[in-house]
Amino acid sequence: MSTAQPGPDPSLRELFMGMQQVALSSFGGGLSAWSQRIVVEERQWLDNEAFITGLTVARLFPGPNQINMAVYIGSRFHGLRGALVALAGMLLLPFSVLMLLGLAYFELHMVMAVDRVLAGVITASAGMALSMGFKLAGGYGRDPVAVLLALGSFLAMSVFHVRLIPLVLIAGPLAMAWYWPRSR
Amino acid sequence: MSAVSHAAAQAALAGVHACTPAHLGDWRNLLAVIWDFLSLSLFSLGGGNTLLSEYHLLAVDKYCWLSSRQFADIYAIAEAAPGPSSMIVGLLGMAAAVKEGPLWGVLSGLAAEVAILLPSTLVMVAASLSWSRLRDSPWRVAFERALGPITLGILFAVGLKILRISDHDTPAYAVSAVVCVLMLRTRISPLWFMAVAGLLGGLGLINR
Repeated sequence: MSTAQPGPDPSLRELFMGMQQVALSSFGGGLSAWSQRIVVEERQWLDNEAFITGLTVARLFPGPNQINMAVYIGSRFHGLRGALVALAGMLLLPFSVLMLLGLAYFELHMVMAVDRVLAGVITASAGMALSMGFKLAGGYGRDPVAVLLALGSFLAMSVFHVRLIPLVLIAGPLAMAWYWPRSR
Repeated sequence: MSAVSHAAAQAALAGVHACTPAHLGDWRNLLAVIWDFLSLSLFSLGGGNTLLSEYHLLAVDKYCWLSSRQFADIYAIAEAAPGPSSMIVGLLGMAAAVKEGPLWGVLSGLAAEVAILLPSTLVMVAASLSWSRLRDSPWRVAFERALGPITLGILFAVGLKILRISDHDTPAYAVSAVVCVLMLRTRISPLWFMAVAGLLGGLGLINR
């Protein structure tokens, strides 16, 4: 909990190293918490308020949240260059690990033992996938239009096999028109 | 006639595909694939998870890089691996080219990852730099309130789809249901759920 003013702007190299530290620290999970600890408390690039604003922007715009957060931090200091450097710092190690796991999988997946372990792991990951919707559902119960939109999008995709892009392009503008802030 | 369609249904269930993988050595195919990922990038809502159904449609049904069963495998690998789970795109890219050798697999994985991240990154840079003006804009307010419930509906559809391609018997569904509840009710790291489920699978208690 530092109340100090943010320190000096990080250089591109420091951005890269800092994001790599975030990625490394979070190998066991909890990326968001680590990123706050390192970026706000240890390195003091941002104060807490700027960090939370960043999370808001990262969640609002398309793209994976943590990756967007790296882009937000990088672009604040060095624009597009900073964003790309921060992104590279955050992704280099985990992506390399993933590529190695991928190669191992495509070489080994006919091995019986690997296949049986994976058969178990996919049931857990399916449960995690199922929990994504429930996690967000709580906030919308009181707004019947929101419930209708969610239900409509769900049915369109699951039952009528509407593809993602047309679904968002049609439902999105209609919903935006409905939710457009009324002038007082 | 019905025997034929029955056989087709059986093949589909077993994850055996009649279609042949698109050959990426042909640059038109390569451009088509890159375009598919670039254009999906901006529809990556809800932290990127809204794209999982589209990934399945592209990689399994359209381009035939993977069987449905392999898709479930690499989804689990991407979830278990460190880093953002949306990196599953790198594994899809790898699946497209790994038959040509590991180097092509990695290059193709990298290309897919860059394609899916590039457009959303550019938008995010613009948004970060102009946020002070965007924050109070009616566009921002309407966008946020409108896309929230749509994303919610899509995430339920995606969750259901992943469940369908992953689980095929009662014990598997039971494990998924328990994990889902624990994800919502506890703060236990998901890695534990995968480790325990992997152990159950290794012991032969969960089957495909």
